Amino acid sequence: MISKEEIASLVRPDSVHKRVYTDPEIFALEMERIYGQAWIYVGHESQVPKTGDYHTTRIGDQDVVMVRSADGVKVLYNRCPHKGAKLVAEGDGCAGKFFRCPYHAWTFKLDGSHLSAPLRTAFEGTGYDPANPQFSMMPLARVDSYRGFVFASQSPGGVDLKDFLGGVASSIDNLCDRSPVGEVEVAGGVFRVEQPSNWKVFYENLHDTMHARVTHESSFVAAREEAAAIGEMPFELLIQDGNGEPYAFWEKLELRAYRYGHGYMEGIFDPSAATRDPVARAHFACLTEARGEAGAQAVLGMNRHNTILYGSGSPHNVFQQFRVIRPVAVDRTLVEIQLFRCKDAPAEVWDRALTYANLINSPSSNVMPDDVEVYRRCQEGNNTRGGDWVSLHRYLGTDTLLEDGAVSTNGTSELPMRNQFAAWRDYMLVEPPPKVVPIHTSSECSHAA
Amino acid sequence: MLLDRRIDLATAPTEPCDLDLEGLRGVEQMLFHEARLLDERRFDEWLALWTDEGRYWVPRHHEQADPFAQISLFWEDRMLRETRVRRLLNARNWSQQPVTRSSRLVGNIQVEGFDAAGHLIVRSNLQYTEYRLQQRQLAGQVFHKLAPAGGGGWKLQLKRVNLVNCDSVFANLEVFL
Repeated sequence: MISKEEIASLVRPDSVHKRVYTDPEIFALEMERIYGQAWIYVGHESQVPKTGDYHTTRIGDQDVVMVRSADGVKVLYNRCPHKGAKLVAEGDGCAGKFFRCPYHAWTFKLDGSHLSAPLRTAFEGTGYDPANPQFSMMPLARVDSYRGFVFASQSPGGVDLKDFLGGVASSIDNLCDRSPVGEVEVAGGVFRVEQPSNWKVFYENLHDTMHARVTHESSFVAAREEAAAIGEMPFELLIQDGNGEPYAFWEKLELRAYRYGHGYMEGIFDPSAATRDPVARAHFACLTEARGEAGAQAVLGMNRHNTILYGSGSPHNVFQQFRVIRPVAVDRTLVEIQLFRCKDAPAEVWDRALTYANLINSPSSNVMPDDVEVYRRCQEGNNTRGGDWVSLHRYLGTDTLLEDGAVSTNGTSELPMRNQFAAWRDYMLVEPPPKVVPIHTSSECSHAA
Repeated sequence: MLLDRRIDLATAPTEPCDLDLEGLRGVEQMLFHEARLLDERRFDEWLALWTDEGRYWVPRHHEQADPFAQISLFWEDRMLRETRVRRLLNARNWSQQPVTRSSRLVGNIQVEGFDAAGHLIVRSNLQYTEYRLQQRQLAGQVFHKLAPAGGGGWKLQLKRVNLVNCDSVFANLEVFL
């Protein structure tokens, strides 16, 4: 067991020890103290539209199932309390009126509570008790949703979801408000991409403005060459070209950091350029009808690039997606990219989100492979004996502290990384209380032995 | 161009076709040639195989109807194919150091017939092995739509690759399949 002192010593104001990326023991502890405590995004309510519909996913190292029951969306561990079998297979489906285990036909209501087991007489006089939670599918300690985005926490205590989301709730609001009726739904399928690196590297990179024109040189140069060859820079090339902006451009961007490791960065693509573009014009007209011109301006004028919801991933309001980051092992991360359709928005808004996802988030993206390559090199380089510390020095000491976090004075600040590791340290220093598992200790169990 | 819904993606023929043996041989050679250009990373020659409006498509879903309602692993017109090649050949393509090497085995070639615009629909199976740091194996059914070109040759109007694991988790797919 790693001591508190040892954990605390891994994070300095200006750097982190490489063990945070490479030590399997630390990864196991993260599963307990971060993924076992924090609110983690499970999925969107639109993924389970009808009663009985379920969607499987993982919270840290735990297989869970999000299901729609008669009284709302539940999140349960995907485990039958009899022998432990996963009750539903991986993916999406409909359980019907109840869950039925494929092993011995124990059944459970959609909220996970025990319904029946075959040949009940066999249990007479044993400790078997349908009312005892130990014979039911276990729900996660807390489940809540924010505008259709379902989160769960494995810890019964702690802040509520709204407080946890803090300032980045506005990114989710803005994503939803891009629909004239304020609702989005998951659509089009999910890309699932594997990265051979630690999950934290990806979070850091999301607000790492200094890497863009270095790591992505091959793709922005390719886009510029192509634009020169065809004599125009259409949207498909523009979104690959953006990484090539000069350092001066990135320095002017604003990076915002909130509690719990969250934050956002300002947009790369100029929204006023968008008013010249027919898609944005149609969108603006549609929202003006629903909310008036000022309302439409407020929604479409919010120009954010990646938002970070630490532990869950990165919602993107402008292109209506959520990159969900699932740690798999200390050196392996699964990224699931969900796309959202803004209900009743013009069809072109969907087309643009789809095009963006196909070009930026597909495993075939021209942009992503160079990121994944450098993450892998960090993972492997940090396994050498060539040094112990990873630097977070850029613009240290210059960030402006605010009541609910901090803001960069220069867009190339490593404030986001420092903020993430401050949260990481806080999480990792709190030992979770022992889980209270209801166990029957009465003598009625004894004769079964 | 990418969003132009008028592109005919149907792979079921509307007209039968009775190519003679020599014609069939020509079609097979065309597919083998295409695979070889990719294996040998002769990307500029591969780009020249396409019609102006030709589309390269690898669906993300089984039996995906179109690339407009759902995401695709690849959905590329000439501009995007050229952009991909430019990136693959850029000196600072970190993720292509070392490059992806590949070997394609094309078989089970069957000529299905013609589509409404007179493109020849050809179905084949692809066994694709790729190596960069690690080896990986992909496989699927491929539909080519071939447009008659001068001198009895063909140009690519559509290449649709239905991967058996299209809905799986992927490491990056950097080169054309």
